[in-house]
Amino acid sequence: MADTEVVADYTQNFEGWIDDFNEWQTRIGFDPSWLGDYRFDIKFDWDTAGNQIEFGDFEGKPKWNRRMQIPQQTIRDAIINMVSVQGDTEFASVEQQNHLLASAPTEYDRKSALRIMCEEQRHGWQMAYLLCTFFGEQGMREAAKLLERNAQEGTRILGSFNAPIDHWLDFFCFTHFIDRDGKYQLKMLSTSSFKPLAASMGPMLKEESFHLGTGANGLRRIVKQGVIPCELLQKYVNKWVSTGLDLFGTDDSTSAQWAYVYGVKGRYDEREAQEPADREHLNEASRDLYFQELRDEMRRISKVRKEGEPELYIPSDKFMRGIGKFAGKRYTVHGEEFEGDDVAWDEYVSTVTPTDEDESRLVNEYMQQEWIQYREWKGN
Amino acid sequence: MQHVALTSFNKERCRPFFDKLTEYFHQHHQSEEGDADGYEELLYRVRRPYTPEMLDMIDSWMGLEKRDWREETQREVMLALYAIRYPDTLLLESFTEKARSDLRRLSAYLHFTNHTYAIWDDDTRMGLVKLGIEIPATNTVDPFVYGAYVSAIELLKDVAPFTCFIEHDVPRQRLFQAALAAYGRE
Repeated sequence: MADTEVVADYTQNFEGWIDDFNEWQTRIGFDPSWLGDYRFDIKFDWDTAGNQIEFGDFEGKPKWNRRMQIPQQTIRDAIINMVSVQGDTEFASVEQQNHLLASAPTEYDRKSALRIMCEEQRHGWQMAYLLCTFFGEQGMREAAKLLERNAQEGTRILGSFNAPIDHWLDFFCFTHFIDRDGKYQLKMLSTSSFKPLAASMGPMLKEESFHLGTGANGLRRIVKQGVIPCELLQKYVNKWVSTGLDLFGTDDSTSAQWAYVYGVKGRYDEREAQEPADREHLNEASRDLYFQELRDEMRRISKVRKEGEPELYIPSDKFMRGIGKFAGKRYTVHGEEFEGDDVAWDEYVSTVTPTDEDESRLVNEYMQQEWIQYREWKGN
Repeated sequence: MQHVALTSFNKERCRPFFDKLTEYFHQHHQSEEGDADGYEELLYRVRRPYTPEMLDMIDSWMGLEKRDWREETQREVMLALYAIRYPDTLLLESFTEKARSDLRRLSAYLHFTNHTYAIWDDDTRMGLVKLGIEIPATNTVDPFVYGAYVSAIELLKDVAPFTCFIEHDVPRQRLFQAALAAYGRE
C-alpha cells in the first residue's frame, strides 16, 4: 500500500471525524436516539484558563493559543499525548458501560447513567476537536485512533478502561473511584500552558462532579439498604482502588516531570499550593491527595451501614499494584508484607477480591432482591 | 423581558454568590424546609408512567394543599409532563385556567419528572433579583416569566466556575435553585 493511501484512510478534518463518531456509536451499540435533545457542544472557559503560563520553565510567558506558538516539537508531542489519553478514556467508559442501561435499578439511575455517557462522549468530542483543530495531520490521526481502539477488545490505552463493568455495583465503583481519578487529571490540565486545553477543562470538571456524586450516592444507597453484605462490598472496593491508584502513573516519573517543566500539566492543587513542586515525585503527590480523598469519602459512605456490619475501608496503597514501586509485590490490604508461597497468595487474594463465586452470588442472589435503596416504586 | 434580563447580566456581580454557592446550597437543601432526604427520595420514586399518586407525593413534599382539579385538568397536565421539552415553557400557555393557577405546583411537577426545569420559589426569584436578574413576582403560570426564570438559572450554570459544582447526584438546576433560595433569603 502506498503512503498516500494510508494517509487517505484518515479523515481530513473535524467534520469528517464526526462521521466516524456516528459510525462508532452504532458499532458499540449506543443508540443515538438515547441522546434526546442533548447536543455535543464544544465548550471553553477562557476566563478561568488564565493568560500566563503558571509553572515550569516557561512560567510568566503568555499561554500558547496555537500550535505554532508552542516552542518545541517535544512539547507539542506531550500535549497531543495528554489530549489523546484523556479522549481515549472518555470513549472507553461509554464502551464499558452502555450495556448497563437495560438493567438500571431505577429510572433515575438510568437517566443518570445516560447523562454520564452523553457527557463522557462530549468530553471525548472536545478532545477530538482539539486534536483536529490545533494539531494538523498528526492530531487528526490521533483523533481517528480514539474511535479505533476499543475497551471490549482490550485495546484502550489505560488498564482500568479495558476492565469489564458487568453490573451496577461495578458501575458505581467505577464512577466513584475511576471518575475521581478523571477529576484529578482534568484539574491538573486546567492550568495547562496550552490555553485551549486549559479552557476545555472547566466545563468538563463541572460535568464530572455529577458523575462522582452518582458513584458516591450509589454506593451509599447500597450500603444503607444492607442487602449486599459489607464483606462482599469490601472486595469490590479493594478491586477498584488498586486500579484507580495505578492510573496516576509511575513513581519518579520523568514524563510527569517534563510535562511540568513544559507547563503542560500541573499539580492537582497547583493554584492553591504554597510550596514549590517536588518535580521528581509529581505523580506520587497527586496520588497521595487522591488516596486521602478516597479514605474521607469511604468513611462517609460507611457511616450508613446497618448495625453489625463491618466498617468499609480503603485498602493500603501497596495492595495489588500494577504500577510504581509496589508493582508486582505482595502486600495485604492492610499494607503488611505478605509471607507465603504462590498458592497461599492466590488463596489470600481470593478472600479480599471478588471471585467468580462472589460474582455469581452478587448477581444471582443479592441483586435479585431489593439490593439498593429506592429500587422499586411500590406506591403508598 | 427575558431578553432584557439576560443581556443586562453582570458576571462580576455574581462572584460573591459563586464563592459561597456550596454553602448556600447546603443551607437550603439540608434545612427543614429543603427536606433533603424527602427530595432525594422523590427523584427515585417519581418515574414513568406518572400517576396521580406521584403528583400527591410531590405536593406533600412541597407542602401544598391537595389538588382541587377536575379529571380533565389532571390528564392535561400529565400529558404535558411527557410532551414538554426543556427549555420550552410555551406549552404551559395552552393550559386551562385551573392548571395555570399555581406556578409553584406546576414547576415542581416539571422538576421531578424532567429534572431540568427549576422549582419556582419566591426566595429563589429574590436571589436572582439580587444578582441583577429581574424576574417579576407571580403565583400563576406565565410561560414568559417562568421561561426567564429557567433561562436565568441555566445561564448561571454556564458562567459559574467549576468549583461551584459539588459532587452530588441531584440535578444541577436544583443545586443552583436551592443556593439561590438561601441567597435570596439572606
